[in-house]
Amino acid sequence: MPTLRPTLHLDRLGSVIAGLIGLALVASPFVTYRANRIVSGEGRLLFDALPPAGAVGTILVVIGVALCAALAHRPLVRLAAASLGLCVIFPAVGVSAGFVTPVGNTFARVSPAIGFWLLALAFALLAADALTRLRLGPWGRLAALSIAAGMLALLLLSGAWSDLSLMKEYANRAESFWREGRQHLWLAFGSMGAACLVGLPLGLASHRVPALRAALLQGLSIVQTIPSIALFGILIAPLGYLAANVPLAAALGIRGIGAAPAFIALFLYSLLPVVANTMAGLSQVPADVTEAARGMGLSRRQRLVQIELPLAFPVILAGIRIVLVQNLGLATIAALIGGGGFGTFVFQGIGQTAIDLVLLGALPTVALSFAAAIILDAIIDLTRRGGHDRD
Amino acid sequence: MIEIEHLSKHYGDNIVVDDVSFAVGDGEIAVVVGTSGAGKSTLLRMINRLVVPNTGRVLIDGQDTATLPEDELRHRIGYVIQGYGLFPHRTVAENISTVPRLLGWDRRRIAARVEELLDLFQLDPGEFAQKFPHQLSGGQQQRVGVARALAAKPALLLMDEPFGSLDPVIRGKAQDDLLAIQRRLGTTIVLVTHDMNEAFHLGDRIAVMDQARLLQYAKPADLLTHPAEAFVEQLVGTAERPFRLLSLVTVKDAMEPGSAEGEPITVSATLRDALAQLIWRGRPALPVTDASGAPVGRISVDGILKHGRASLS
Repeated sequence: MPTLRPTLHLDRLGSVIAGLIGLALVASPFVTYRANRIVSGEGRLLFDALPPAGAVGTILVVIGVALCAALAHRPLVRLAAASLGLCVIFPAVGVSAGFVTPVGNTFARVSPAIGFWLLALAFALLAADALTRLRLGPWGRLAALSIAAGMLALLLLSGAWSDLSLMKEYANRAESFWREGRQHLWLAFGSMGAACLVGLPLGLASHRVPALRAALLQGLSIVQTIPSIALFGILIAPLGYLAANVPLAAALGIRGIGAAPAFIALFLYSLLPVVANTMAGLSQVPADVTEAARGMGLSRRQRLVQIELPLAFPVILAGIRIVLVQNLGLATIAALIGGGGFGTFVFQGIGQTAIDLVLLGALPTVALSFAAAIILDAIIDLTRRGGHDRD
Repeated sequence: MIEIEHLSKHYGDNIVVDDVSFAVGDGEIAVVVGTSGAGKSTLLRMINRLVVPNTGRVLIDGQDTATLPEDELRHRIGYVIQGYGLFPHRTVAENISTVPRLLGWDRRRIAARVEELLDLFQLDPGEFAQKFPHQLSGGQQQRVGVARALAAKPALLLMDEPFGSLDPVIRGKAQDDLLAIQRRLGTTIVLVTHDMNEAFHLGDRIAVMDQARLLQYAKPADLLTHPAEAFVEQLVGTAERPFRLLSLVTVKDAMEPGSAEGEPITVSATLRDALAQLIWRGRPALPVTDASGAPVGRISVDGILKHGRASLS
């Protein structure tokens, strides 16, 4: 915005956001039009992507948001501007799909293009920055997340996006989408649960027995450095052997490839954060607190359950948060060895050079990780009862 | 009655407590003083068996503490440490009710006890019961720490540098409060400190430790007038001696009949405070009043000085 007088106080991040918005508006196509789902397409600027009245309205809103980003200082105003922007461009890209597609053409595909993504990124940055400045408490953040999720659900259920290529890919695979979604969640949450069941006692044991500590942490760190593909490879032989020789294993669906090695790999990757954070949590319990507890006659077990675990809990939860966010992302690669999950669409899409199919797998994964991070952060804050150890 | 008999503790070749014996009568305050590393805290921690002695034993009312289950023993002994060790995730009320809950008191009795203790320590229950430790000042935390130790009405209270983290202004008040509460409840206290003033202020008897050994266990006045070893004399401070002695005696004991001009002094003030007043006001004598403010006599510089010397003869 070079025309602004220097007397106005510019917001630094806001100016960058405004710049992004300007770039998106002037130089980037809003949607891509393709004659069918795999040919390369041609971009359409925002002005050409919507009916004239809609295009002008959208552009005005977008410019307004850019001005707010650069000039407004109150976080609530900035948040409102960002929300308005998101509420306009998300339906707009759906409308645009219907507008750009020739009537009656069922092969043509319309996808959001770089301009749309830049705008979405700019507005999301603005919203995130405003939310940070508002310093929302845990409940506030959960509420903001629910509102965002509700709006997204409304958008998808209303059919506003049904002309978009992404939703056409979904419509063709609705059944397998939900099946792979369940598989994805099962892989991520199941391996996390298993890691907690094993990692908490391990962390506790290594807190009590210093000799165990170094060996365990080193072993788990080495596991952490093995690339996932290599870990799958390592697991094929023993699991294949197990499947061939132990009838129960075969009956449980354990094979050299498939969900079992993916589950085990995710489980192994999850152990380090759980064990390390359990140990860290327990060791940061102040020495005078444990001394006082002993002196008052709390037994070993009472000290653990009433004092040490509650005080270590936020740190342990932080470990679980790392695991969950990591697993939700990592579970994608399970599809490489037939383990299912959203990765299935990603790898299919790559194989078919159908970028919208890749997005069908990638977007839900990102959304899940994002939501899991926010929810667990809020829970961690809520468990810091009494506001202790905020240092 | 606490009897400590020939307690010793060593870690490898390092002797931490070497054959220490002394006894503390019911309702008395015994203060263990010494330089850091003298073995004071270890001695204290052997009384509630946080440290298990290599040899020797501790009898409480004639019963050998080694014969009791450790946790049960500790439920009966209050314990206060320098940092207090308040549980940061629990409210003041929950902190105080720790031992009563372990003992299975019913809820109403616990609530009544918590309120009683908060009142005793001048913390308004309505305001403080639901606060968390980090919301309290240092002085308030200290009071909650002592209240928690007294919750199950222990006959014995062990205190390890309980005023060590307080600033000097609050420390004096906290010491006075502890004395008042102790006189009221009749709790026996064994207190560890490195602060000589604190020892003379609080102790009915003082145990002086150095390099794992107990050098002398005596009443404060005896410690001043008959130090057993050069180290005790040094620790007590030769220059400080007469003033410490004066601080152990009240005006009542050195009062003369008659009257004098000036700001009156109460009978319960120490001779040290009275002397300070006399020097400050530049008078040879000041009137003395009783608690109700009625004049009962006079106190003079000469009278005080005589008292400061008298015990040496």
